[in-house]
Amino acid sequence: MVFSSVIFLFRFLPIFMICYYLVPRRMKNFILFVGSLFFYAWGEPVYVMLMLFSTLCDYVHGRLIERYRGKRKATAFLISSIVINLLLLGWFKYADFLIQTVNGLAGTDFPLLNLPLPIGISFYTFQTMSYTIDVYRGEAKVQKNILDFGVFVTMFPQLIAGPIVKYRQVEKDLHERQIKAENISYGAKRFVTGLAKKVLLANNIGALWSEISVMDYGEISVLTAWIGILAYAFQIYFDFSGYSDMAIGLGACLGFTFPENFNYPYISASVTEFWRRWHMTLSGWFREYVYIPLGGNRKGLGRQLLNILIVWLLTGIWHGAGVNFLFWGIWYAFFLILEKLFLKKVFEVLPRSFGWVYTCLVVLLGWVFFTVETPEGIAGFLRAMFGLNGAALFDRKSLYLGREYFIFFIILAFFATPVVKYIADRLERSRTGYCLALYRFGEKVIPAVLLCLSIAYIVDASYNPFLYFRF
Amino acid sequence: MSEKRNAIFTSGVIIFIILFFTVADFVTPDRLFSETENRILASKPEFSGEALQQGTYTEDYETYVTDQFVGRDKWIAVKTYMDILLQKKDINGVYLAEDNYLMEQHKPEDYPEELEEEKLELLEQLVQRWDATVMLVPTADNILTDKLPKYADYYDETGLLARVRELVGEKRYVDVYAALREHADEQIYYRTDHHWTSLGSYYGYRAWADATGKFPVIRDAERRETVAEDFLGTLHSRINLPMEGDEIQYYTDTMRNPVTITYDFEQTADSFYEEKFLDTKNKYGYFLDDNHAFVEIQTGYPNGKTLFVIKDSYANCMIPMLAQHYETVYVLDLRYFNGKLFDFMETYEQEGMDVLVLYNCIHFLEEFYYIK
Repeated sequence: MVFSSVIFLFRFLPIFMICYYLVPRRMKNFILFVGSLFFYAWGEPVYVMLMLFSTLCDYVHGRLIERYRGKRKATAFLISSIVINLLLLGWFKYADFLIQTVNGLAGTDFPLLNLPLPIGISFYTFQTMSYTIDVYRGEAKVQKNILDFGVFVTMFPQLIAGPIVKYRQVEKDLHERQIKAENISYGAKRFVTGLAKKVLLANNIGALWSEISVMDYGEISVLTAWIGILAYAFQIYFDFSGYSDMAIGLGACLGFTFPENFNYPYISASVTEFWRRWHMTLSGWFREYVYIPLGGNRKGLGRQLLNILIVWLLTGIWHGAGVNFLFWGIWYAFFLILEKLFLKKVFEVLPRSFGWVYTCLVVLLGWVFFTVETPEGIAGFLRAMFGLNGAALFDRKSLYLGREYFIFFIILAFFATPVVKYIADRLERSRTGYCLALYRFGEKVIPAVLLCLSIAYIVDASYNPFLYFRF
Repeated sequence: MSEKRNAIFTSGVIIFIILFFTVADFVTPDRLFSETENRILASKPEFSGEALQQGTYTEDYETYVTDQFVGRDKWIAVKTYMDILLQKKDINGVYLAEDNYLMEQHKPEDYPEELEEEKLELLEQLVQRWDATVMLVPTADNILTDKLPKYADYYDETGLLARVRELVGEKRYVDVYAALREHADEQIYYRTDHHWTSLGSYYGYRAWADATGKFPVIRDAERRETVAEDFLGTLHSRINLPMEGDEIQYYTDTMRNPVTITYDFEQTADSFYEEKFLDTKNKYGYFLDDNHAFVEIQTGYPNGKTLFVIKDSYANCMIPMLAQHYETVYVLDLRYFNGKLFDFMETYEQEGMDVLVLYNCIHFLEEFYYIK
């Protein structure tokens, strides 16, 4: 079930929330667990068993690690937990990619498994791994109540598209959270903001990219190619960050505090900064559980650069089983390493706008590897972007699309920056009666308008894809 | 304290909206059919363990809930208004053209040369065997090109028409394109529908008469009468905004002589026009009782001549004019016919039977298909 659907907004959400708020506190986790299983089983009636297996498995491992704390068995159980998680992920996500690679290299003919990818598996396996690792390190207490642990793994707000919540971040909330009116209010507003980002912004600009992405790259003009990749950049940002907003908002309504996942990534003036603002919980996860255990920056420059490369290869492949995702990871590793070596210092001297333009170029070109997928397609699209396909700088088509989406692009750019937040903060803090009144008015009216508009777009639903099934 | 009240007010409104529409949706009865969308809406799926396991049950259930959502038409209208506010000029595959015209979008890449090739081959066989006259009508975007949004792309039908002309020869080719171009400033296409108007088809008829050397029976473009003024056609359905309706008209001369029409071998009528359609959304069905696989027309005009028309819905408003020249007219719509075309035609063949292929260019590419 996706959040931006009639079935979620007008069936699941109201019925679930009424039950959740009505039952006494000690029953809330049970309702949340059952509701989450229903939510997941709606889209994955078979793989829900896989998620339950994963939950049970890591619950048992956590307890075993606790029981044998200090002994070698504890380490063995930690390794077993990680191996099982990675095997699950490997089998369902990477097996076919590996088989294809082996067949291609060795000329063998192993049949493909053709398994559909269980939704959210990349997210929940990372969450459960963070649990066993933290228990082993003593950074989190073992969870003895299987229901509380089940809630942590299966909780529907962040189950299928993040943010990736570490166990210790919600450890306290799992058994003693308070549901306050302020939290519900904040959560409801945050949810509507996310819904509007996904439905009003991402889906609409996504329609432009899906139109351009199927054109013949040998013939599209330079302008069309750039409009296309810009459209994709906005689509994935508003889609993904909108989904995170909805998750954080729903979490707040349930009494949880989830970590932030995006912080206006497109204003970054370096690639390093970009990855501190983009999908923060994923980069945070890799930093904590891969980069630092590998030695981070404490074992000399050479080792640090190697660690960066390893982390970004993994980040790349995490996003999808394909060579293009590996390449996408390497692409970022390359610029991060350059920045570590000297580039960051260069841009620190120059005006911020230089760094911003450079970062935008790196990110936009990066999205080509990310979204086009086939090597020929990527090469073709890059050629088109730089006019090497022999097509014109612009043509009738690009002018039409440019005109058609001009206003929309301005709106997208506006909301990708913190301007709105800045204005709202200024108005709220101002002492002038008018400004404050304006803020109060906007605060009351805007969420309701956004919600109604989002409903209109969802009902129209001519275009409502969900981008994260592959992650 | 007031800050807290404010915050609670905002979320209260959000929660109210969601609950309100949830309850409203539960109490509104399901609709079978959507007039505005002109399609049957999804109904509640039947539960089965197998469907659940395959995921089709939940999928169907979601389609059902979305299709039946309370106020569906109004929500869609809100979305369309937003699109217009954002200066969008194409919505759901329809261009919002100048002077309140809606025009169907035909992208050049959807009509590649191979498709043209395939259809031309079929056409060639038909023309060779039956000495057929060919009349391909351009769509509105090709005639009212000036009204299209700036830089808008459209499939240019002149290339196809030139190839058809060359293929079938000057003698058998009716140049509707030139005829319509000449009258591009008149109401020759509906503003809200993808068909041409009776006036448009009149110019088509004159072009046909010129090409085949017939003396036109209807001599005056103005001899038509309006039977409905509130026709909102298929293109309007895709946009669903309040618009002024189109007029449905017919040529009075076509009503002068009695006719006997047999639809699909069973249902008979004594007029080309079916008034019952004027009370429905599908007012274009007024002409020749909407779409039928096979129509047989006896005019009682004893000249012994026969016409066999292979056609799409564009022909429906023009056939009453063509029929003025024949004793018998057969009308075949290939979309609803799955026998062998030539065998079928042979059973109706008479000495000197004229054969006419009458399509609009887009339907010709999309739907012209038969088995010899």
